[in-house]
Amino acid sequence: MILTEEQQLFHDAMTNFFSAHASIDALRRLREESPTTGFDREVWADLVELGLSGIVVPEEHGGLNFGWLGLGAIAGASGRHLAPTPLFSHVVLAQEMLLNCGSTEQIAKHLPVLLSGEEVWTVAIDGDRYFHGGDDSVVEVSNTLSGRKVLVPEGATADRILLPVRRSDGRLGVFVLSAQAEGVHIKATRMMDGRQYANITIEKLDGSAGEWLEGSSLERGWELTLNRAMVILAAEMVGSARELLERTVRFLSEREQFGVKLATFQALQHRCAKLYCEMELAESAVLAVLSAIDQRASEIAAQASLAKAMANDCLTLISSEAVQLHGGMGVTDEMDIGLFLKRSRVANQLLGTSEWHRERFAGLAGF
Amino acid sequence: MSIQGLTPTPVSLQQYQTMTEAHDLEQFRLQLRGWLEANCPPSQRKAVVQSEQIWGGRQRQFPSDDARAWFEACRDRGFTAPDWPAEYGGAGLSDDEARVLKKEMKQLGCRPPLYDQGLWMLGPALLVYGTEEQKREHLTAIARGEIRWAQGYSEPGAGSDLASLKTRAEDDGDCFVVNGTKIWTTKADEADWIFCLVRTNVQVPKQQGISFLLIDMESDGVSTSPIPLISGESEFCQTFFDNVRVPKKNLVGELDGGWAVAKELLKHERKMMATVGEMTEKPNLSLVDLARQCVGVEESGALGSSALRDRMARHLMREQAIERLAERIFLQGKAGQSDARLPLLMKYLGTSEIQTKDELVLELLGVEGLSMEDLSISESNRKMVKQWAFDKALTIAGGTSEIQLNIIAKRALGMPSVDEKS
Repeated sequence: MILTEEQQLFHDAMTNFFSAHASIDALRRLREESPTTGFDREVWADLVELGLSGIVVPEEHGGLNFGWLGLGAIAGASGRHLAPTPLFSHVVLAQEMLLNCGSTEQIAKHLPVLLSGEEVWTVAIDGDRYFHGGDDSVVEVSNTLSGRKVLVPEGATADRILLPVRRSDGRLGVFVLSAQAEGVHIKATRMMDGRQYANITIEKLDGSAGEWLEGSSLERGWELTLNRAMVILAAEMVGSARELLERTVRFLSEREQFGVKLATFQALQHRCAKLYCEMELAESAVLAVLSAIDQRASEIAAQASLAKAMANDCLTLISSEAVQLHGGMGVTDEMDIGLFLKRSRVANQLLGTSEWHRERFAGLAGF
Repeated sequence: MSIQGLTPTPVSLQQYQTMTEAHDLEQFRLQLRGWLEANCPPSQRKAVVQSEQIWGGRQRQFPSDDARAWFEACRDRGFTAPDWPAEYGGAGLSDDEARVLKKEMKQLGCRPPLYDQGLWMLGPALLVYGTEEQKREHLTAIARGEIRWAQGYSEPGAGSDLASLKTRAEDDGDCFVVNGTKIWTTKADEADWIFCLVRTNVQVPKQQGISFLLIDMESDGVSTSPIPLISGESEFCQTFFDNVRVPKKNLVGELDGGWAVAKELLKHERKMMATVGEMTEKPNLSLVDLARQCVGVEESGALGSSALRDRMARHLMREQAIERLAERIFLQGKAGQSDARLPLLMKYLGTSEIQTKDELVLELLGVEGLSMEDLSISESNRKMVKQWAFDKALTIAGGTSEIQLNIIAKRALGMPSVDEKS
């Protein structure tokens, strides 16, 4: 649960980079200037240059093997800055899916392209209003694929989209979807977090013409990837929570009413103290499961659910409280608080709400 | 696996040292396991029951021969106070070794070999503030279970505002003469000695006129009476001091410097209270099993009530997260990277969560959770009801939750305290 010196240094370097090139101001600029792309390609190229894409990839595959604790710290820094980058879609979802579900040959063929940042890939997870783990929204019937996917991060700019498909024999398949293929309709949508997602409709796509991931245990690889992605998303969310709480306490320490600083009121102190407790609990749950991944724990599903549920609840609460405690300023677009609030609600739905995770946790605990 | 993976890689000095350390610790673990298996009787490896807890003291009575054997084996190896120096009755274990011992004991289900407030609270403070003579006299007696201690802090007029305490200790040559009363003195009616905060100076601001005194409860003028509680028990007492003469060698720390000692001690009290669940009697059934039994399960194995299932998961997840926080604090300390803010959260979070669990239990019990006396209700159910009532004290004793939140706001978040308002 403790970062190594190298991980700490890398985290500091990334924090500096995010604050200089991928800060909240950058998010605002993207929102206003280029409504069709969710991230800045030049910034992404610089991040790849810094080594971000290979951070948890094993050395034999050309990565840095820097550890999940290290990646979690960077996700936290990204959450502090609301940095709009393909960290989640490309580095965590797509690369991990390829590593966990691809054959040795497929990894050797595609991974260098992903690591170099030449192409951006993503994974289409949800097809329903809510995330529910496994997904049968795209099905194969006699070699043709049909169905619909929603909330695909970077779905309209990605070069390839890894698509889970219920094969005709009932098993899970992962199809390497090209945006240009016949029968694929991609509609870019902008969610309230200012980032770009896509709704994808697939009509009678010829499955035999494309590539399927051919790893030996797809179901396990799929679940492992989602569990890891939940943890990284949770790490990002706790980073946002920490930033929000710091901003809120700073605001209360500066703002005067009734002739005193707001921070001197005990009612507000206790609210902030409780928020701080929630944040450190969530952070502890996240750090524990990141360490477990680094220590090659065989089963992380319950811990991943713990981390995501705690992160969901803490960020939902802290972002709402941050708006309230900033008073009238909290509901203005000029303050960044609202951007965190909106991002929190999107992140909350991505990879499962707290109710879903508690349900899964209960099932795994045998009740 | 690739061929690269099979090539031996050079090992740095630091890695080598870590490996040696891990190896030594593993050796230690194996030795311990053998010792515990040989010395902890099977009856002492069952979940602890209140009536079988081993308390020390002059009136010490062992609940069974096995309990005596287990206590004596631990006492002779210093395992009643594993991390205290050996010359004061401890085992002199390093933090890592003490943690290994704790883990191994938990693994085998060994009961704590000794219960005593001197062991949990006074001892650690004496290690910091005691004179050599005091350490030799008192620490050894505590670790050997010969003297049982009570705590004399709160007074009827000084609760959260502890520093306003009024029990006086007046200088009378080689003695102090103590007059006043202390309340919530846990089990003082069974204790031999009591450590007290007393006022030795009324001319200075309230925190600066307090001293820390050790008082033998057999001294003339000391009396104690138990206070009946909502749980039907009377763990807490009120203790009265009427012209009690206390030798000056029993002053811990500086004269008028007792507040510093009290703060050190409070740290250990809060730590102890955050982990109180491990030492107290557990219900025969886990929460999950109790819920299964009370509300039934569906064919899928899920609890009959989905609302309850969600609340249970919420509680069990928080309980786990609190454990992770404790582990994080430990690992930070070990790495020399302690975040001083984190330990401030443990008492508030730990005690609140115990109460959440108690409320769940009470609801699960339904009508069987509404009486402590109805003998048609099983003893184990009535015990859970008593526990629910007793645990209401956890968020009050040792610094209320409100005081804890004040401290978190001030020291972790840097928000100004009330008297800095202007």
